[in-house]
Amino acid sequence: MRWTALAAALLLWLAPAARGDELRVGVSWSNFQEERWKTDEAALREALSRRGARYLSTDAQSSTEKQLADVESLVVRGVDALVIVAQDAHAIGPAVALARAEGIPVVAYDRLVEAPGVFYLSFDNREVGRVQARTIHALRPRGRYVFIKGAAQDPNSDFVHAGQLDVLQPAIDRGDIQVVGDQFVDGWLPDVAQRVMEQILTAAGNGVDAVVCSNDAMAGAVIAALRAQGLTDVPVSGQDGDKAALNRVARGLQAVSVWKDSRALGERAAEVATALARGTRPDAVPGRIAFAGGPRGATVDAILLEPTPVTRDNLHVVLEAGWIERGALCRGTRRDPPPACEPSEAMP
Amino acid sequence: MSADRRTLVTLAVLAMMWLVLNRLTDGVFLTPRNLANLAVQSSVVGILACGMVLVIVARHIDLSVGSLLGFTGMVVAALQAEWLPESGWTWPVALIGALLLGAALGAWQGAWVAYGRLPAFVVTLAGLLAFRGAAWLVSDGRTVSPLLPQHALLGGGIEGFVGARWSWILGALGVAALVGLRTRARARRIRVGVPVRPLPAEVFELASVCAGILAFVAVMNAYTLPRSDVARGIPVPVLILIAVAVGLSVLARSTRFGRHVFAVGGSPQAAERVGIDVRRVSVGVFALMGVLCAVAGIVTTARLEAATSSMGTLAELQAIAAAVLGGTSLAGGVGSVGGAVLGAIVMQTLDNGMVLLGISSPARQICIGGVLLVAVWLDGALRRRAER
Repeated sequence: MRWTALAAALLLWLAPAARGDELRVGVSWSNFQEERWKTDEAALREALSRRGARYLSTDAQSSTEKQLADVESLVVRGVDALVIVAQDAHAIGPAVALARAEGIPVVAYDRLVEAPGVFYLSFDNREVGRVQARTIHALRPRGRYVFIKGAAQDPNSDFVHAGQLDVLQPAIDRGDIQVVGDQFVDGWLPDVAQRVMEQILTAAGNGVDAVVCSNDAMAGAVIAALRAQGLTDVPVSGQDGDKAALNRVARGLQAVSVWKDSRALGERAAEVATALARGTRPDAVPGRIAFAGGPRGATVDAILLEPTPVTRDNLHVVLEAGWIERGALCRGTRRDPPPACEPSEAMP
Repeated sequence: MSADRRTLVTLAVLAMMWLVLNRLTDGVFLTPRNLANLAVQSSVVGILACGMVLVIVARHIDLSVGSLLGFTGMVVAALQAEWLPESGWTWPVALIGALLLGAALGAWQGAWVAYGRLPAFVVTLAGLLAFRGAAWLVSDGRTVSPLLPQHALLGGGIEGFVGARWSWILGALGVAALVGLRTRARARRIRVGVPVRPLPAEVFELASVCAGILAFVAVMNAYTLPRSDVARGIPVPVLILIAVAVGLSVLARSTRFGRHVFAVGGSPQAAERVGIDVRRVSVGVFALMGVLCAVAGIVTTARLEAATSSMGTLAELQAIAAAVLGGTSLAGGVGSVGGAVLGAIVMQTLDNGMVLLGISSPARQICIGGVLLVAVWLDGALRRRAER
């Protein structure tokens, strides 16, 4: 008797649950090992639940092969839209084709996938370079400039540098700006950037007025090299909103860190994915542009978000976003606090 | 070809490279400032290469040094910036903690090699992966900074120099120690009736080495603080490299452990038969390498005034290349610490000079790869001719 009841319960449990009519959005992450994706995930998850959509996720753990299997399993689980952070922009092709064949819309999140029918959503890397150059150029309209670029093998290095030149090329052509150093840094490694900067300073006899540096980790190394020469008033740019870099901005050591608010990206991804799942045509998504700036030059529907320059004067944006705690941001700023670190603000 | 002849050849090649680069850079390369740059930039790989010589001599390899540098560097930074309460003891405790961690992880790898009977290549390949992950976990991939102000002294930044007076004192001590040791060694050889080199040759060699030391001090003192004529003197990371190199040379030549390392490298079976504990030697060599990784990690964080989880990426290959350029045989049993330091300087010379010339990084990598290949081939060819 008892066994029959148990068996009946088991059978009931085994029977497929009736699927609700809620939307299901599958997200295939490339690698949760990196700190930033956790912020993205929290934002995306929250934005989806607010829209009444269910969040299904997989983590490819940096494996291209695993990501293919991940996408297949999400398709089998019956998702209505897919968000993919591609581990490899080309190798993800078959998985995208599979989803498209099932009629599932695909959003390429942060990393471009140049395949037909993909909706590309990212920050504008070229704009990152423009923002860096604009900030530095406003501080030093003329003088001797150094460019510290990312890895030569990484297309993002070129996007960022192209943006920097969009702003500075006219001044370079006029002769207002002389370029006294222009180097790629292997693997974006800070220790390499430091040696490169030391050599550029040596070659130029310390005659450097500004450094347009492509990311924050390298900017820290560049600033260490400048300080070793007693150069404390050379503006240096960066990107990523690294916590150490934001602290340098607060202490007045770094001029700007271009910050990509991944919560904004997560929010937009949820918005686009649910819209596409409900049958909105890709070219009818608000804010959509046609993007053809990828390596293969294919045209995809895209939304490119504007990055935020974080300088000494607007540090409160990263505080308010919960991106960094006040203690970490303001450490060592007691003598000359930026507006966001002023003691009066700490008092309730 | 004797070790001394070999060192002379390397020195001659290095001098040629310096003169050529100096000509190409219109005299910038051989300024005191750039030579100080070169010395500081060579220090991290130099420190690692000193230990790598002993590892390779003992017929092993250590692929984990870059990752272990990253991990211990991350720990020394996290200890002083986040984990320990701020007090007068924070800094020394952080440094000692990192050194102990390096020694322990090195010994752990050595134990797997010696007692687990696994090839060092496999054990340290596992270390390469695991320690890089551990470095990441220390701070979830974040950059750790700011560090304590005194930590930057070890990196050779604006205050990381010992000044003119101490540089001369250290230089003079070095010369005195060298002259004293050499004279005593010669006297002892004569007393026990071992043949000695002709006196003029010995005096000439000693005099040139001493002149080299004093010239080095003079050059470092000629580099002044910006907008002043205050001499900087020898940078602290370079002093650390010198201390490591001298210490390991003495260890390799004049201690039982050092001689055991070379005996094991020459022939493990023979070493075992004469009663050397081959396994203990392996553990010792890896533990020493671990300590040096921590030293290099400390210098790297001091230079960057921060710790990043990517620190030391590919440093293992640079250290191996420096050791090989310095005449260490990958077959084991042969190698010199001084040669490895020279090898590190040769590699850094190329990079340093080519950045001065504004050559792009892919071209620099090709060039350094080519020089490594040609130098080791040339060395082998010369050695074979000398043996014939």
